Amino acid sequence: MKKWKVWFGEIDEEIEASDNLVSSFYAAINDEPIPFSIVERGVQIFGSEEEYYRNLRKTAVVAGEKLVEEELKREDRYAVMLLKSLDQVDESINLLNEKLRDIVEIKESKVTDILREKIDELRELRNEIEKEIELVISKVCPNLSEMLGGVISAGLLEKAGSLERLAMLPASTIQILGAERSLFRAKARMKKGKVARPPKHGIIFQHKYVRTLPKTKRGKMARFLAAKIAIASKIDYFSGELNPELSDSIKHRFEELLR
Amino acid sequence: MRLNEVAHNLFIIEEGKQSFPATKSKYPPYYGERKYGNLREWIPYRSKFAAMVMNGYMPQIMNDWKVLYLGAASGTTLSHFSDIFDDGMIYAVEYSAKPFSKLLKLAMERKNIIPILRDASKPLEYSGIVEKVDFIYQDVAHREQIKIFTMNSNIFLKTNGCGLIMVKARSIDSTAEPQDIFNDVIGDFSSNFKILKTGNLEPFHRDHIFIHLVKG
Ligand SMILES: C[S@@+](CC[C@H](N)C(=O)[O-])C[C@H]1O[C@@H](n2cnc3c(N)ncnc32)[C@H](O)[C@@H]1O
Repeated sequence: MKKWKVWFGEIDEEIEASDNLVSSFYAAINDEPIPFSIVERGVQIFGSEEEYYRNLRKTAVVAGEKLVEEELKREDRYAVMLLKSLDQVDESINLLNEKLRDIVEIKESKVTDILREKIDELRELRNEIEKEIELVISKVCPNLSEMLGGVISAGLLEKAGSLERLAMLPASTIQILGAERSLFRAKARMKKGKVARPPKHGIIFQHKYVRTLPKTKRGKMARFLAAKIAIASKIDYFSGELNPELSDSIKHRFEELLR
Repeated sequence: MRLNEVAHNLFIIEEGKQSFPATKSKYPPYYGERKYGNLREWIPYRSKFAAMVMNGYMPQIMNDWKVLYLGAASGTTLSHFSDIFDDGMIYAVEYSAKPFSKLLKLAMERKNIIPILRDASKPLEYSGIVEKVDFIYQDVAHREQIKIFTMNSNIFLKTNGCGLIMVKARSIDSTAEPQDIFNDVIGDFSSNFKILKTGNLEPFHRDHIFIHLVKG
């Protein structure tokens, strides 16, 4: 006898009521459509249609709150972990490439062919990871994703710790996020009485709109970008709805500075 | 200000040269819309259903219908459906957690919304929650829009039940001509359903059409 899973329990000949509606709600998965009326059976448990729907609503809301919280937490952590593995794979590719070059300078062999193949496979893996980062980031923070792409966005999340923390940071901190090491180095140099300039930009320096500008204008662009990131991360954190004007404004500012 | 009731709790307000839809509601504004007494303005730029009504088409509906809403997002259109189907029940499916968390707040306030965080392309994953419905409204902006609707209507739509699908050309194919895509989509649907009406949503939503159909 087949057992049908419904949000309030399991049904074969009889109804076995769930003792925890919140956990049976999202477990009500079947491998084919249910051939009877769920509501009719539910009324046998809850007593009336009114009670049936009252319980269904309450359960859906509580189960939804729980699932949302888990999903949101999981997704930005997932993106950050993917980014870490991306960095690791990049490093491996570079290292292996260097070694390969050293070897073939002396002699080509079957082993060097295999090594070359493996490096190519790693490059493919790298692209797969990057695609996955783009996808996850476009779901978790659509505005940052639109402005910065997945990899830079994930880098900001990593440095800030989470989307929640990034959304709380002031623009001035966002501007140098990821430049902590050079900030530290600059301070150390100054302590020793040497000249040093504090860093103007961290991760966001990787953005093509900063990188490709003449040196004298990069600071201006980085400041502008950081201010927009501060807004975008708040929207992503609180509502998650895309506002295309944000990424448009960055493009305009870039074109202004190019002139 | 003149009122013209086009469906249960749904009015067209005429104010001088302007006219716009609104729903009768005892609830406060939800997404920045204005309130006129007990009427909530329904902004056609924010909702495809409102755009369709603005363009002169109003499908037959009953206020006690059971509704399955696929792609409910943060609940903008859903909030007005909740006003209209005030004696019915709306199962609202959305798969992205962020907008869904806003939708949950709406569901707490209203009495006729069942929020479900699930992928609409896997209807069996909510087959133990959703009952047979009179109406499926779909606005998912997803490549597999036709497949999603067909699967859901096979499982959940009553015979003679209606569907309204908001089709976005660009999410099916970003390179082809929208009109070609629409012709294909309408062709595909007409082999399984009886099409009642199709139309565009200009100027409110570009490269979109609505398809109103019935399950024969
Ligand atoms: C254009 S928006 C819907 C707007 C909403 N209907 C309104 O008028 O208020 C499309 C929504 O469909 C959701 N979506 C896309 N594919 C989906 C799927 N397979 N299952 C569930 N939701 C999906 C997206 O997350 C997005 O929130």
